[in-house]
Amino acid sequence: MVIGVLHRKLLRTIFRSWGQSLAVIAVVVCGSACYITIYSAYLNLRLTRDTYYAQCHFADFEIMLERAPAAAVFKIAEIPGVRHARARIVRDVNVDIEGVDEPRIGRIVSMPNPRAPVLHDIVVTEGRYFEPGAQSEVIVNDRFAEANGLQLGDRIHVSMEDKKYPLRIVGLGLSAEYVYMIRNVQELVPSPERFGILWVPTDFAETALDMRAACNNILGDVDRPEELDLILDQAEKLLKPFGVFAKVKREDQISNRFLSDEIHGLGVSARIIPTLFLGVAALILLVLLNRMVRMERTQIGLLKAYGYSDWTVAFHYVEYALILAVAGCLGGFALGARLSVGILRLYVDFYQFPLLEFRVYPDVLTWAMGLSIGFAVAGATFAAVRAARIHPAESMRPEAPRFAHRIWLERFPRLWRAVGFTWKMILRNIGRNAFRASLNIFGVAVSTGLLIMGFFTMDAMYYGMEYQFNEVQREDVKISFQGERGRDALYDMQRFRHVRYAEPLLEYPFEVRAGWRKKDIIVIGLPQEAQLLKLMTFRRGEISIPERGVILGDYLAGELGVVPGDRILMKPLMGRVTREREVVVHGITEQFLGTTAYMDLHALSRILDEPFAMNAALLRIEKGAEQAVNRAFKDIAGIASVGFREKAYQSLLDTLAESMRIMNVTLLAFAGVIAFSIIYNVTSVSLAERQRELASLRVLGFTAGETGSILYYENFLLGVIGMAFGIPVGMFLSRLLVRAYESDLYRLPFHIDQTTYVISIALTTGFVALANWAVRRKIHGLDLVEVLKERE
Amino acid sequence: MDSAMPQPKGRTLFEIENLRKDYPMGEVTVHALRGVSLQIYSGEFLVILGPSGSGKSTLLNIIGGLDAPSGGRVRFKGQNLTTYNDAQRTQYRRRNIGFVFQFYNLMPNLTAEENVELATEIAPDPMPAREALGLVGLQERRTHFPSQLSGGEQQRVAIARAVAKRPEVLLCDEPTGALDISTGKLVLRVLADINKRLGATLIIITHNAVIGEMADRVVRMADGTARDIIVHATRRSVEELQW
Ligand SMILES: Nc1ncnc2c1ncn2[C@@H]1O[C@H](COP(=O)(O)OP(=O)(O)OP(=O)(O)O)[C@@H](O)[C@H]1O
Ligand SMILES: [Mg+2]
Repeated sequence: MVIGVLHRKLLRTIFRSWGQSLAVIAVVVCGSACYITIYSAYLNLRLTRDTYYAQCHFADFEIMLERAPAAAVFKIAEIPGVRHARARIVRDVNVDIEGVDEPRIGRIVSMPNPRAPVLHDIVVTEGRYFEPGAQSEVIVNDRFAEANGLQLGDRIHVSMEDKKYPLRIVGLGLSAEYVYMIRNVQELVPSPERFGILWVPTDFAETALDMRAACNNILGDVDRPEELDLILDQAEKLLKPFGVFAKVKREDQISNRFLSDEIHGLGVSARIIPTLFLGVAALILLVLLNRMVRMERTQIGLLKAYGYSDWTVAFHYVEYALILAVAGCLGGFALGARLSVGILRLYVDFYQFPLLEFRVYPDVLTWAMGLSIGFAVAGATFAAVRAARIHPAESMRPEAPRFAHRIWLERFPRLWRAVGFTWKMILRNIGRNAFRASLNIFGVAVSTGLLIMGFFTMDAMYYGMEYQFNEVQREDVKISFQGERGRDALYDMQRFRHVRYAEPLLEYPFEVRAGWRKKDIIVIGLPQEAQLLKLMTFRRGEISIPERGVILGDYLAGELGVVPGDRILMKPLMGRVTREREVVVHGITEQFLGTTAYMDLHALSRILDEPFAMNAALLRIEKGAEQAVNRAFKDIAGIASVGFREKAYQSLLDTLAESMRIMNVTLLAFAGVIAFSIIYNVTSVSLAERQRELASLRVLGFTAGETGSILYYENFLLGVIGMAFGIPVGMFLSRLLVRAYESDLYRLPFHIDQTTYVISIALTTGFVALANWAVRRKIHGLDLVEVLKERE
Repeated sequence: MDSAMPQPKGRTLFEIENLRKDYPMGEVTVHALRGVSLQIYSGEFLVILGPSGSGKSTLLNIIGGLDAPSGGRVRFKGQNLTTYNDAQRTQYRRRNIGFVFQFYNLMPNLTAEENVELATEIAPDPMPAREALGLVGLQERRTHFPSQLSGGEQQRVAIARAVAKRPEVLLCDEPTGALDISTGKLVLRVLADINKRLGATLIIITHNAVIGEMADRVVRMADGTARDIIVHATRRSVEELQW
């Protein structure tokens, strides 16, 4: 069988150069596994989100207000385009759990009793819904319960207004509203033991929070989401008297924002990462097959002389690529299945779904196979066409020698003479095989770039958090009050045991406007010479708070398109005062979390027509007094919450460290595979072509090491060039990432540590060394007698 | 052609005793050398003749330290080569051996002169590369790359490269095999000249019996053994040979 023989030749080639074949396969495995994992995750998360949202009737908008009559909701429901509206009470409270001394914050969310299908409905995973007329029953978010060792039937106590209420846990539940359960953007990652959701019957919430027939949160859904802005404007007008301080569209809802950003990110990654790998595989195949066609020129000619068609011969080389692609993709299926489990575990840590299934869809597998094959065949095409074009008669003559020519360095004879012949060979060889050299450089550059980008995310997060928790925030404890207080509140704080120092803070929602651009934000009022909250600029200089004028976060300034000296309009979103004030932008502060503006506390108070107002206090306390302070404050009427900076910082660090570790190990593996495969393959091709040269060096009495160093040094030289390119590549990728993740909620600071460069370069050097080490085997195994026997 | 009594030209350089080389090929074993015994003297010009497959190259490669035998012994100046490991054989080649093959094996990336420098760089007592190129009459072509030289010229560069490190032994496996007659003669003259002027022991493998007339001795190989040895009282010059 004629075809049979060709097949055998092919398989033999693949097995004989198993190192190279495996290296190509490894890249395809990575590519297809990434595609399968990421794309499945994308589809699964999207599907889960959509079903879950539908099941829970996820609201299209949420309006947060001070206090409105519950009946106001009917006015909202009447706005044309609004389908349903729901009034509810939402309030963060301190939770007392037996045996837990640390502060626990629960978000009270009122639910109808008896149960009715409502917007932002919940799923009861264990236990039951409230009994009719029940007062002191609660359904607890199941993660919070689990983290705090709470079970059905347990009792917890919540402090509301002046009283402490016992609540019995009758159910554990989840809500689409809190898939990503964080209290506010500052927290960044969920910590289910410190913050959870408590669903209570509306009756109870009204009584305990002194909100009879009132609400502070209105939800709604609409017919057409594109009308949302209009509808919200109308709603704001209607609700104006009740102090609207935030209108949140579905897309800006915190949990949904994080989840949807993640899903969107997955969608983008599912396109980019596999393309990168499969593209690299295609390039390697291009080099491998080109060399193979060049080496087998005469055989190809012979086959054609015997009567094989151009097509058969060309397909022979495509088939090589096909076999590697299919093998790689099958490996990708296996790896993909494993990674999918890993990624699932990661998502389960961060997101709460009633049921997060992880299916691998047949379509995805088909696509993965199609893409792997597509890229591989694309890589093989050039060589195949070349093979098809070979004319049988011509092929018997040796290919015209590629002229060894002088390279530009030789124009400086004195310099050139100083170059040892090893380097002469290396430099001329690079000049002769520019494409292969470029591919080598490309591989190293991509690998270095990927590493830098990976470490950058870590640098940026740590830098950002360090900045936020050590430079900007300097308090030990932050106490938030319910509503505004006068100066007395500060003196009260200072009188507490363990409190060494206290500073007032006023956080107030405003609409800020510059021309047609506007944004709803929180403005923070600080005392002059504030010690516990510092504003910083680039290069980490402190800026002082001006007596008049406002300091904007850098992202906010960008969004509003203003620079220092410009004027903006500020309008309070709640309270009595509703008129707009013009304020000068005094400066800009670097800000990675949230979108806020800062003013002098007195100036901000004056805007609200008060001489002095505060609604939070920052405290510095004695060392080790955290628990005592928590116990002292959490039951005091009018205190909404007690937050400890160090704890928040620590838990953030812990959570991120774990997910970063997983991400970086993966990235390291990817970067390694790319660098190794490219270098190993390119070097192997080079070695095969230069066997005779290297063998004659050995005959002359060069040791295997000396001979190999020609290849090793060449790789290191190209590696150094690649790394030099890799640094800007890494910076570019990091900038892309900064751009991709920029939002109102948080931004990544563009900050790359020196050590990141050092480590990335060290690792890539390691990959180059590893590839050299793998090639070493071939150099030492070179059979001199055999090589020299062959015709030139 | 007179087969007079053996007249060693100098002291014994190689003592080859019962040298064997087997290639186990699955079921069968190919016996490339089946017990060759031979003395090679310092400074002599030795030609090895024999049909294809008779083991000539195998023998030369073992003498040159490219290959290890399966049995027997090769002593070089009293040192037993057969016990050398790979690194020692490399050192041995580096110090003592110059190789010339049928194919020139020049580095395509290096000019003629640089190709020769390749050898001088690692030798303990080399001659200047230009001088070596002078010996083969290619001084003016020293800046040319191999692809810019003819086959004969390339072979002469290869010879210059082999000679430049002043090796004690020059081993040539069919050095004229790929060349036409007149170029072949030129190459042979260069080799004979080097043997005479530098006193390097010259061993040439060839299929051409006529070349044997230039040598001090001719070894005829057949079937993996040294069948007979012919000693010439006088050597002929290339010009005297009848092809
Ligand atoms: N690597 C090898 N594996 C198996 N057999 C080998 C190998 N190398 C050589 N042989 C066998 O050893 C024998 C001697 O080979 P050698 O190359 O020494 O012959 P030769 O006399 O140089 O022939 P020629 O004149 O054709 O070059 C041959 O029969 C050859 O087939
Ligand atoms: Mg031979």
